[in-house]
Formats: sequence, structure tokens, C-alpha cells
Amino acid sequence: MRNASDTTSTRSTDRGDSPVVRVIRGVQILAVIAAAVGVLVFPLTGPGPFILSVGVVILSYACMATGWNFVGGFTGYISLGHAAFTGLGGYAVGLLILRADVPPWVALVLAGLIVAALSVPIGFASLRVRGASFVIMSLALVLIMLLVFQSWSDVTGGSNGLRVPRPFGPEVLRPEQHERFYYLHVALLVIMLVVWWAIDRSRFGAGLKAIREDEDKAQSLGIPTFNYKLSVYVISAFFTALAGGLYALWFGFLDPIFQFSILTGSYMVLMSLLGGIRSLLGPALGAAIVGYAIEFFKAQYGDTQFHLVALGLLLGLVVLFMPEGILPSLGRLVDRLRPSATSIREESAEDLANKNAAAEPRAQDPEETETVLVDDNGRHL
Amino acid sequence: MDLVVQSLVLGILLGGLYALLAAGLTLYFGVMRVVMIAHSAFLILAAYLAWWFTSTTGLDPLLSLLFTVPLFFVTGVFVQRVLIARLKPATLTMMSVLLTFAIALMIEGMLGFVFSGTQRRIQLPYSGASFEIFGARIAVVKLIAFALAAVALAALYLVLKATRFGQSLRATIQNSEAAALVGIDTKKVAGYGFGVGLATAAVGGTALALDATIYPSLHWHWIGPLMAIIVVGGLGSVPGAAAAAMVLGVSQSLLQIPMGTTWAQTIFYIVLFATLVFRPHGFFGGRLAQRF
Repeated sequence: MRNASDTTSTRSTDRGDSPVVRVIRGVQILAVIAAAVGVLVFPLTGPGPFILSVGVVILSYACMATGWNFVGGFTGYISLGHAAFTGLGGYAVGLLILRADVPPWVALVLAGLIVAALSVPIGFASLRVRGASFVIMSLALVLIMLLVFQSWSDVTGGSNGLRVPRPFGPEVLRPEQHERFYYLHVALLVIMLVVWWAIDRSRFGAGLKAIREDEDKAQSLGIPTFNYKLSVYVISAFFTALAGGLYALWFGFLDPIFQFSILTGSYMVLMSLLGGIRSLLGPALGAAIVGYAIEFFKAQYGDTQFHLVALGLLLGLVVLFMPEGILPSLGRLVDRLRPSATSIREESAEDLANKNAAAEPRAQDPEETETVLVDDNGRHL
Repeated sequence: MDLVVQSLVLGILLGGLYALLAAGLTLYFGVMRVVMIAHSAFLILAAYLAWWFTSTTGLDPLLSLLFTVPLFFVTGVFVQRVLIARLKPATLTMMSVLLTFAIALMIEGMLGFVFSGTQRRIQLPYSGASFEIFGARIAVVKLIAFALAAVALAALYLVLKATRFGQSLRATIQNSEAAALVGIDTKKVAGYGFGVGLATAAVGGTALALDATIYPSLHWHWIGPLMAIIVVGGLGSVPGAAAAAMVLGVSQSLLQIPMGTTWAQTIFYIVLFATLVFRPHGFFGGRLAQRF
């Protein structure tokens, strides 16, 4: 994995006024604008209800993956259990409408807030541990939610499921529904991206990224690591719940098996990793690729379990060969075109010496953490 | 009262199986700091192999151990040497979780693809046999499964304590750098440690196949409790894992009386949450828990 200092070094090259850099930036901006226009215009091209519904599903995945990336991208805590929040969001919307007669859109916002409140104690317990223990906790969260929502059938409908009433009247036909939900998902995604971007540039975001790189050092520098982690976890839960709630309003039916599915959680992780968890648009790009692939596999192989094998294979390959994702890999490819990467060095010997000096302790990082571990053991022994 | 004794005995029998499987998970974690999500998927794979062996040859499922145990050992060494060892040390813990998760998905998918999602069960001549002890009625197959788990666990204990390989394995778990310094080939030992861990899944799977109905997605029902057990036991400690397995297995079984089967399962997660809130290191002397 790259270190935080790498980003600053690439950023400093951005400021160079060489025409190549400007062209690259221009191409990047054009690509983003083209993608945005493409997403917005897509329903107007008359794709037909089925293709449009696939578009809604992919956008829903993009919302979930971006929501996941608030925790995964900033802090590096990989949660395999974010499906618990989409499921809770969906059920909260459904139950608020059915049992409390709350108007659908108010219910959606309330559901986000309720899940955010629930995520405080959950985060309090699970963020006390790191790494693998955290992943275990997140998996346990989905499994426990599945148990609860299946067993507590008086309220949740149990395995029979829960029918969520449509927010639009009967005069709105299905293609029209798809189109409206398509744009609602786009709006939610844009809000999330703006918030992610704002955090990314803030002091809060810098602290979170410091946690990702080295939590102990971040803490010793005075960052209130636990509060930071918990805050971003709650933000992530809120947005993930909104994505789940919006999906519930669109799909209109909730079944615990699908709402609290480990698969949904792993889709979010796979999409974000594939796109690149450190970049703003990475999860959305990953969602577009993986979401399309999932729909394709389902259409091709239907009911067989083969899509699980494909998903597992894809996840394994990404983890083994591209753990940083597509966007960072592309970025590095583009970096080669930049002036600093030409065969003639444009940096002074002093710069180079500083760079090497900075790179040296970094190269030893794994050993360093290993030694700390040994020390720790020694103390505990 | 009979019901309580019955549940207690069943809980102990279940706890034995949990203990064996948790011991395997502890080994992976010990040698590589890897949490093997695919452990229970391999467990179900072994159960399927036992079922397939019995339904094609008509022989006793216990004989399938003769080929599943070596097969799983080799697979474990392969997984560690070829896949896990490729991951970068800095992100090993997280990425290994995802990698083994991917393996679990592939196994589940292949099982569903090859054997279909139908529920399977081995029919044995002694399937229905049972006997009574202190007023509790115990099925013979459950006892065989427990005996199998107990024998495997005892063998594992002996290997770890009495052989040279076990000694180097324990040394690698305690401090792999120091172990390498005194001349232990830690990479090889880590690979074999993985193999032994996976072999426990082979034994456990056969034991499970004796008296359980199996289906491809069953492994999710096992991984949650097993993960809870190794965290409660304190990661990295085999006796801790075994003790936690027994305690939680018996609790689950006893809680089934007032709460019913489904709600009783939540005991694992409640205890897991409580452990992490109050004692993140686990209860049975795991020294590795904090730093992973």
C-alpha cells in the first residue's frame, strides 16, 4: 500500500505548469464531465424499463459502495457487514410507513437518523478492536441482524417479508417509477460524493487518513482517534442506511435473507476495492463494473450458484493483484507521462537525497510494526 | 430436569466439535496473523465429500477421512504458500480476510453448482440408534462425532506439545523472528501450520456430516459462532479457544430450552460484543489479541 506522503509528492507535481500536466488534467476533467452527462442523459435515450431498472440497481450499488467508503476509504477499516445498515435502513423505512403512517420521504430521512443513532453503540463496541477483529465484528453484525429480523416476525414479517408501499401514486407507471428513482439515486450519490470530498479536504479527513496509515502514531500526534473513527462510522452508517431505504422504496419488498446478506456487504467491499478506496469516484466506478457484471451473470447463468464463484474469483484476483484499485493504478500509469517521470531528472540532488531519506524508513515499515508486536508480546508475557 | 441434563450433554458434544474447529482457526491466526473466513467453508466441503463418498461407495463416511485429511493438509499448505504469502505484510490481516472470504464464496458456489442447493443427509444403519445416560437420550452418531473431535484435538495437542514440529510451530506462534533466529524455517512451519489447521476442518466436516443436514450456504452459520469463540478465547491460544468453545457450546444448548433454537444462537454474538467492550483481549489469556 502507498503511504500518505506519496499523495503529497504527486500533488506537488500537479502544480507544475508544463503543458503535459495541463493536458492530463484537462482529460481527467473531461472524463468526469462526460461520465456525469452520460449518467444524467441515460434514461432519456429510451433504454426500456428492464435496462433502466438495471441502471437503478447499479446506482443503488454505487450509493452503497460510496457510503461504505466513508469508513473503508478514510480509516482503512474494512467492514464486511455494511449490509446490516442497508437492511436496517430498508426495514426502518418500511416499518415507519406501515406501522407509524409516516410519509415516505420523511420516513427515509428518519430511517437514516435512526440507523445512525443505532450505529453509535455498534461502532463503540466494534471500533475498539482493529484489523481482523473488526471484520469479525462486522460479519457478526449482519448474522445477528439476520437472526433478529427472521425471528421477530410479529414486527418485521419474518421470513414472509415485508411489503413496502410505493411512494408514488398508482397513476405513476413502472417505467416512470424507474426513471424517478434513477434520478433520486443520482441525487443521493451526488450528496454523498460532495460530503466525501469535503471530508477528504478537511482537517478531520487528514486525521482519519493518519489513522489509516498508522493508528498508534496518529494517536501519539494528538488525534482523538476513537472519536474520529466513531464519527465517520456514524456518517457512513447514515448514508448507507439512506441508500438501503431508497432501495426499499423502489423495490417495494423486503426479505431478511436478501436485506441482511453477507453477499451485499461483500459487493460493497469488492466494488470499492476494485475502483480504489482512496479515490472519490473509485467506489462508484467499481459499482458500475461489478454491478454490470452481477446483472450479466444473473442473466446468463440464472439460478445456479455460479455467480458466487465468479464473485469470489474476482475478489481474490483484485486482492492479490490490484489491492489499490483501478483509479490509483490508472493514476500511476498517467504519472509516467508527467515530466518528473522522464528519464532526465528535473529534481536537484538535494531533493533526491531528501526523497530517499524519506523513502528509507518507509521501506522498513512492515518490520517496524513486527518489532512493535514482539515488544508488546514481551510486555504482556 | 431431564431436559436440562439432556441439553447439558448435547452442549458438551457440540462444544467438542466447536473446540476442534476453533483450534484450527487459532493455528492459522497464530502462525500468520490470518483470520481464515474460509475455515467453515472447508468444513462444509469436507462434509459434502463425506456424503458423496458414502452415497457413491456405500462405505462408512469415517473412511473418507483417509483421503480428505491428506487432501486438506496439502490444500492448506498450498493456500498459505501460494496465496497468503503473496500479500504484503503491511496489509496482511485485512487482505487475508478478504482473500479467504473470496475462497469461501468460491467453495460455496462450486458446492451449489456441483451438488445443487438441495439439502443432503447421510443415512447410516446406526443413524437412529441412541442410548440413555442419566436420563438423557444421546444419539450414537453424536457421540461418534464427539469422539472423533476429541481424538483429533488430543492428537493436535500431542503434536504441538511432544514433537519437534510442534515445538517449532509454537515457537513461530510466540515470536516468529526469534524462531527464525534460532534456525527454524518459519515459512515452512507456517505452511504446515496452515495444513494442520485445514486438516481439522476435514475431521470436523466428517463429524458434522454424521448427524447434520448439509447445504452449501451452511458455512455462514458456523463461521459466526467460531469467530466469536476465538475472539472470546483470546486469539492465538488453543486451550483458550477450546475452553471458550465448551462454555459457549453448553450455554447455547442450555439457552435453547427457554429461548428456542434461533434466539439461543444470539448468545455467541452477545458474548462477542460484551467481550470486545469489556475485555478486548479475550478471556483465556490470548496475548496476541490487541495487535492484529
